[in-house]
Amino acid sequence: MKTPFKLHNVIKRYGEREVLHIDQLSIPAGKIYTILGPNGSGKSTLLRIMALLLVNDEGELEVLGEKVTWEKRQLLRLRRQMSMVTQTSFMFQGSVYYNVAYGMRVRKTSSRKIRSRVGELLEMVGMAAYRDADARTLSGGERQKVALARALAVNPRVLFLDEPTSNIDVASAAEIEKYIRHINQEQQTTIIMVTHNLFQARRLADEVFFIHEGRIIEKGPGELIFTQPRDERTAAFLRGETVF
Amino acid sequence: MEIIVQGLKEGFLLIWQGDAEIVNVTLLSLQVSLTALVIAALIGIPLGAALALRNFRGKHIILNTIYTLMGLPPVLAGLLVYLLLTSRGPLGQYELLFTPAAMVIAQVLLAAPIVCGLTARAVMALSQEVYDTAATLGASRRQATLTIMREARMGIVAALTTALGRVIAEVGAVMLVGGNIRWHTRVLTTSIVLETRMGNFSTAIAIGIILLVISFAINLLILALEKRTFRYENTIQIT
Repeated sequence: MKTPFKLHNVIKRYGEREVLHIDQLSIPAGKIYTILGPNGSGKSTLLRIMALLLVNDEGELEVLGEKVTWEKRQLLRLRRQMSMVTQTSFMFQGSVYYNVAYGMRVRKTSSRKIRSRVGELLEMVGMAAYRDADARTLSGGERQKVALARALAVNPRVLFLDEPTSNIDVASAAEIEKYIRHINQEQQTTIIMVTHNLFQARRLADEVFFIHEGRIIEKGPGELIFTQPRDERTAAFLRGETVF
Repeated sequence: MEIIVQGLKEGFLLIWQGDAEIVNVTLLSLQVSLTALVIAALIGIPLGAALALRNFRGKHIILNTIYTLMGLPPVLAGLLVYLLLTSRGPLGQYELLFTPAAMVIAQVLLAAPIVCGLTARAVMALSQEVYDTAATLGASRRQATLTIMREARMGIVAALTTALGRVIAEVGAVMLVGGNIRWHTRVLTTSIVLETRMGNFSTAIAIGIILLVISFAINLLILALEKRTFRYENTIQIT
């Protein structure tokens, strides 16, 4: 599989303020990556640019082997190979089934295939009994499981996770982690996750990027960054100190 | 009080007997107002959505103008249409003045800003998450826009019911451009005015009751459709 993401001098500004500046970043396929950093460091901005939801102001972005031109058809083609689960996971009005089927429906998948795939995924995340329930009445943990099933329904090559367990209890978070690992191992889906949870990052990540003031200041194998951080700011963050 | 009771009795009698003139007036009211509503929806919903979903210079001025037009006095709307359609007006050649078509045009002028303004409000009340979720699940721009409209549909239905309420109960504009001609452009509201002027208060009340019953029936129908469409909508529980 082609390298899913290559970023070269990618800059994003909000007004005068530069919120992201990535000199070089290459993300090979098939691993779990976590992006760590303090609040407002640019983690979600980076994720949204890679997910093609936010246009960079400068620099070059290559996604799944294609240089991104932001042309309508290219955007759709690339986006259809990725999906995302966010912190609050917006649920469309309607049933759990409607939500999980959404991505397949917009791809014009046959009703028979949709029914079988939705059933299979809801079974996998333990939500089969909620198939016809109103998606907006689910608890935080249930909602995240449905959001994960919805994102997986389209067989993404890349799955973005933006703090997917920050609003849910420990048991539900552990389940979500289990599915993340399972998807990565069984389907070689590249997973890029923003998290504030250091323990979770350590448990899941093959590689960690530490981002500070919009720049990646350290990257490397998960365990190594946690045990031997090279940058003092990373070390301070891992010790739970405020990073300046 | 006696007049009101008499009006109620007369109203039910008129409905029960199927008085030909009342049937004609009622059907014309429905025809004019529902046609105006459909046209207003065809103009107002896409325009409201486009205003809400696009950023361009002058957007707020346009929105403000539409919100102002939502309160356009019916008589003024009628006057504008009258001036357009009068024999010396720019559209005089079509000879539409004092026809049901002129009444429809006047009511569209009243209903379209309501549908447009309230649709824009309903769409703007949604969060960015709706589009982002649709886009990350592979929806095209068109599919994502339709999803946004689906999420805003409660607001859009509210816009349509508000607009219908405005046009079906409206009298000033239809009186001016329709002329209240018997068997031709007389509708329920203009009949009420006429009967009142003639001192036939109980008949006026009777026609008023028919108007209310029609409004009630239409809203009941919309509510029934809503219940089917919005079966996942909740009433906020206040304890």
